[in-house]
Amino acid sequence: MNSTDNRFRRSQELFARAAQVIPGGIYGHAGPAVALPGAFPYYADRAQGCRYWDVDGNEYIDYLCGYGPMVLGHQHPEVEAAAARQQRDALCLNHPGPIMVELAERLVSLVEFSAWAVFAKNGSDMTTWSLQVAREHTKRRKILKVAGAYHGIDPWCTPGHAGLLDEDRTHIHEFNWNDIESFEQLLKQFRGDIAGVIMTPFHHPAFHPSQMPSPGFWPHIEAACRREGIVLILDDIRAGFRLDLGGSHKFFGFEPDLICFCKAIANGHALSATLGRKELRVAASKVFLTGSYWNSPPAMAASMACLEIMQKDDTVSTLRSTGTMLMDGLVAAGKKYGYAMLASGPPAVPFLSFVDDPSLRRQQRFCAEVTRRGAIFHPHHNWFLSAAHTPQDIAATLGMADEAFAVIRSEGL
Amino acid sequence: MTHAPANPAVLANLYLSAVLPCLADLTDQDPVARDMLGDLRASIVLRVCNGPAATVRFAGGKAVWEDGAVRAPSVILLFLSNGHLNAFFSGKKWAVPVLLWGGWHISILARFSKLAQRLEAVLDGHPEVLETSAGRRLHARLSLIAAGLGLHALAQGDDTARQALRSLPHGLASFAIEGDERAVWFDHGSADYAAGWGVPPRRPDVRIVFTDADIAYGAMRDEIDTLAAVGGGRIRVEGLIPLADGLNFVMERLRIYLKPPAQ
Repeated sequence: MNSTDNRFRRSQELFARAAQVIPGGIYGHAGPAVALPGAFPYYADRAQGCRYWDVDGNEYIDYLCGYGPMVLGHQHPEVEAAAARQQRDALCLNHPGPIMVELAERLVSLVEFSAWAVFAKNGSDMTTWSLQVAREHTKRRKILKVAGAYHGIDPWCTPGHAGLLDEDRTHIHEFNWNDIESFEQLLKQFRGDIAGVIMTPFHHPAFHPSQMPSPGFWPHIEAACRREGIVLILDDIRAGFRLDLGGSHKFFGFEPDLICFCKAIANGHALSATLGRKELRVAASKVFLTGSYWNSPPAMAASMACLEIMQKDDTVSTLRSTGTMLMDGLVAAGKKYGYAMLASGPPAVPFLSFVDDPSLRRQQRFCAEVTRRGAIFHPHHNWFLSAAHTPQDIAATLGMADEAFAVIRSEGL
Repeated sequence: MTHAPANPAVLANLYLSAVLPCLADLTDQDPVARDMLGDLRASIVLRVCNGPAATVRFAGGKAVWEDGAVRAPSVILLFLSNGHLNAFFSGKKWAVPVLLWGGWHISILARFSKLAQRLEAVLDGHPEVLETSAGRRLHARLSLIAAGLGLHALAQGDDTARQALRSLPHGLASFAIEGDERAVWFDHGSADYAAGWGVPPRRPDVRIVFTDADIAYGAMRDEIDTLAAVGGGRIRVEGLIPLADGLNFVMERLRIYLKPPAQ
């Protein structure tokens, strides 16, 4: 960490200790190397609503929301009370609790095409399992995915380079987002051997603006999968429940065969789920699925509460409204200083970038300056809105962004 | 996925266009090499039969590398195949080049041989080099140069590297040790690649800066946790991070090609 002031002293101390005993110091998506070393806090202390405090006491309006899960805001009282009630009865049992059945019923009623649900803890658990279900159902080998899409950390999809064999991806093939021709090429090349196509509802690669589906893209993919007997898997882990409570496919107007949820499903409690069509039920029952904590009831109770609140409060509309206010305001603020800004992705899961900034330097300086003023803007990863963000929070953020634009303009960036 | 075997043509290109150019910096930075060089004034061409060639010119106490064969050199060393050249550079005693021209320049050949041995010792990190901080610094610096220049050879011929590069954003990356105004750079263009050692031809899209020679030494030898070093500010990555990350992966291919012999 090369911070020029004392804002991150405690973070620095902790990181120095971590570097002695933890590979990478902080690994994965939260690692400093993929953010802004020296301009981002490394360790967080506590959080409430749409705000959190780092270990040095710096306060931030949170536009990462724990990288997605905090859809209702941190420490939501009803969700936490539901989880605590359940935990008083049991944390980890030899058997599933009734809450697992209730949650499966609830999810199946929310997601129209689905007939069943299973649970795990992380997104990767579910995307990888879904591939197996697709292979079991079709008795085929190939999986098609979009180049640059993130589906987790297993060897078939990890964005990392290390520890892999060429053979790990022998049957994984990539096409380009919104590029029907490249999809059709793979379809032609591997016709009869394609088990599944796994995609996110919109394309949200790190280090790039998000891309919405072009008109006709999803209908084409969906029709091809139906025609060819390919299982269409929607990885809705990042956007799930933020665009439509019934799944992001409803927002975009198509229907998958399997849908994977995580993040917003339980407002920060560790839970993921896959839901599927009845035709895939037998295959799903055959593919072994388990984990040490996967039947733990408190997260499921949190999920029940979270889903109920989102439905009651129409959280999807709230996120769309505040997200639109934020992104419209940021684009206007940039324009005031002569910058052409690109607001990409849906307003509830937005990302902001400079139109002409191929090296990302301007983006990095801008996000560092906003973060310094008290709103965490990741320069390379899409952002998240929560129901706890109020119009006042958005207005305060826009004030910080205005100052940040002024700073980078004065620096000639 | 770094398990694909080495391609002999790429290795020969690496020796000629990434390792051999290090002689320039070696003679600039290393007193031992400068003593070996003395007042040598000569040009030596190394050429593979029906293959690549490179020239090293020695004059004024310096070495200068040039791509291809210059006209009228003092000495021409011919290798019958890429494998022959690779065996020579990896120290196989039987792999003596054919002296196509200049065999009578015994002193030139003797001094070149000594310089080549010194370069090998520094790049491979022989114990006598690494026992001093100056030696470690030199090893790190030359390893960095060879790795950066090696990107070009890999980009031209190594299938794994080419596949990785196809998924990377275009741009110019520079790698430097802080305080040194020279950097090794690699330009990943849309149509072609370029690499060099010195001042980059334009502002890099990403700069990778090692804050001191020790951290560069550790990083080049794969002996430190580079992610922790980035988090701790000992390695700075400024700009187009995906390009730096991808080039780091491509550079790891060099270990398949240029792994020093067990000592």
